[in-house]
Amino acid sequence: MEERLRRTMMFVPGNNAGMVKDAGIYGADSIMFDLEDSVSMDQKDAARMLVYEALQTQDYGDAELVVRVNGIDTPYFRNDVFAMVKAGIQVVRLPKVESAQMMLDLVKVVEEAEKKFNIPVGTTHVMAAIESARGVMKALEIAESTDRMIGLALSAEDYTTDMKTHRYPDGAELEFARNMILHAARAAGIAAFDTVFTNMNDIEGFQRETEHIHQLGFDGKSLVNPRQIDWVNKVYEPSKAEIENALDVEAAIEEAHEKGSGVISMNGQMVDRPVVLRAQRVIRLAKASGLINEDGEYIEE
Amino acid sequence: MEIKQTALAGTLESSDIQITLSQGNEGIQIDLDSSVEALYGPQIKKVITDTLAAYDIENAKVKAVDKGALDCVIKARTMAAAQRALGTVDKPNWEVL
Amino acid sequence: MPRYRKRWQSFMEKNGITGFAPSDVGAVEKTYVWFADDGDIAASGSIAGNVLKYVAVCSKYKNGGSLFNEVVSHLVSEEASRGRFHLFVFTKPKYVNSFGYVGFKPLGQTDQAALLETGTPGIQDFLQQLPKFDSGITGAIVMNANPFTKGHRALVERASQECDHVYLFVVQAERSLFTFQERFALVKAGVKDLTNVVVVPGGEYMVSSATFPAYFLKSDQDIGQYQAKLDASIFLKSIAVPLNITRRYLGEEPNSKTTASYNQMLQAVLPPKVTVEIMSRKTFNGEVISATKVRQAITEGRQELIEQFLPVSTAEFVKAHFTELKNRISTEGK
Repeated sequence: MEERLRRTMMFVPGNNAGMVKDAGIYGADSIMFDLEDSVSMDQKDAARMLVYEALQTQDYGDAELVVRVNGIDTPYFRNDVFAMVKAGIQVVRLPKVESAQMMLDLVKVVEEAEKKFNIPVGTTHVMAAIESARGVMKALEIAESTDRMIGLALSAEDYTTDMKTHRYPDGAELEFARNMILHAARAAGIAAFDTVFTNMNDIEGFQRETEHIHQLGFDGKSLVNPRQIDWVNKVYEPSKAEIENALDVEAAIEEAHEKGSGVISMNGQMVDRPVVLRAQRVIRLAKASGLINEDGEYIEE
Repeated sequence: MEIKQTALAGTLESSDIQITLSQGNEGIQIDLDSSVEALYGPQIKKVITDTLAAYDIENAKVKAVDKGALDCVIKARTMAAAQRALGTVDKPNWEVL
Repeated sequence: MPRYRKRWQSFMEKNGITGFAPSDVGAVEKTYVWFADDGDIAASGSIAGNVLKYVAVCSKYKNGGSLFNEVVSHLVSEEASRGRFHLFVFTKPKYVNSFGYVGFKPLGQTDQAALLETGTPGIQDFLQQLPKFDSGITGAIVMNANPFTKGHRALVERASQECDHVYLFVVQAERSLFTFQERFALVKAGVKDLTNVVVVPGGEYMVSSATFPAYFLKSDQDIGQYQAKLDASIFLKSIAVPLNITRRYLGEEPNSKTTASYNQMLQAVLPPKVTVEIMSRKTFNGEVISATKVRQAITEGRQELIEQFLPVSTAEFVKAHFTELKNRISTEGK
């Protein structure tokens, strides 16, 4: 899977023309156009057309473009997938996933659409939203269901209802699900997205939750409001020491390449693969946060 | 194609356009209500007319209330109204899309 | 949702909407409420047939304008899903601009209330299907004709003599003993010898459930007042002016308070562009002829009055359908 930053996945209600139009201006790493819960039943067709046309014509910059289609058991599902594949969406997100089979069923329709519209088979990626106890328990098989998978996302609203609880400020009710999803994603080599935080007035709570999922190791968080993008990015910003260290690692890699050596060493010690990967991730984050200049130097604030 | 029933799509919210399609017999007649009509009226009407032509709709009355919609939104709303008016919501015309 | 009824009403009152007469609230089919983050009501709107009612957005929320558009948009979509594409909104004059921004066109306005419409078919479509008269004097009569009597006939005759052309609008609302189809056919039959009179349906623009809902509720006198004034202003602005109508003929109304106050309002609103001609009621043996009395006679089974009050065409119809009409009265209370 292509490594990219997925700190922020912004939800955009699919039938809201203003929000669909402006989705690209906030700098979200991923934009998720929603055809499901935010769209009323009698507007499903209109939302599908609106997102389709927007994808054809609007410039969303470097953002990864995701669409949440309606559930596999709804009458809208097939048309949603066909329209989005035709529009060239990068990722189709399936809601309420509870088994690998559901992802395979999705992929079958995606492939059918790719063939119909002469798009190379395999172009369209998929991801799964986990919204139930069963989904959590099946997280690994879902994560490993298909090569097209790019990530798992926790959707806490339905999940907590399924668990006969609701959301609490400390998030204890989500701890198991978060860890299951995160582990499944890491084991499968895909991304893990944390759930949305809906109370826009509780900035402190949002901060606390974001720091927590960052610490656990999530790639990022789903968001409902563009204001939250900067807050998440701030949490994901690497420290000066991390950046300096990553730059050193990068220099060592460069040096090894120049020498034609397969062994990367730094300060006389061998640099192993995890260190290299972390350094690459830190540099990506630092660049995205504007902390490294074009020459690859740390910018003092 | 003949319009089977009057249909409406789109909203009155900012950046959107609300399109109502009903039966007509004198070509495409567009009644446009837009604060930018003087500037963009002809363009808005062209997008609507072209989109209807793609559905082979030759006769229709169109009422459009524009709240500053981009061309892609005008097209999307006209398409949604057309599918609803033709009674083909469940079978989108992929060739037009 | 009775649970929200009290909160809704106090929200409306806070926003200056005070009309909660049973006849107004009772007509509401569905009410939609938008809540703010703090749980308070931020906006609300209702639909009653093809009329949007009780639309209010609390001014304390920022983006009030966009919330207003969202509310109206939602109501319009809900109406569309019920197959209604021609809509009215009954509102205060200060909101005329707000509705104008979302495509509504004013039909008429008084100092207390305004009626706007949107969608299709609209007033232009209505006017387009009527014959136009560019020269001479054009008069107009609006009648419910429930049913068409010798009194109605006398009024039409006078207008026919004094004008070059006469529009005879028959109220279209189905709230009467005689159906619109029956009333319309009987009016046509009753004036067919008067060649300068065109009989046309009143559409939704004259004494309709949109323009004048209280007309059909004889008890609500006060509501009748401002609605009558609004109906008169709609006739002036949206019907009389575009059709070059300069005279409106009315029958004097000694018995019905609602109609009497409607006549007063027409006299107050229509001149000078449209002069109002009031004709005193035709009598038979000293008794005023009225459709109300005809309906009473049907109820009481007094067939002999029918021929005295009705022209031949109407009388024949009533006699042929006497039992059926009597049944309608007893089952529907009309």
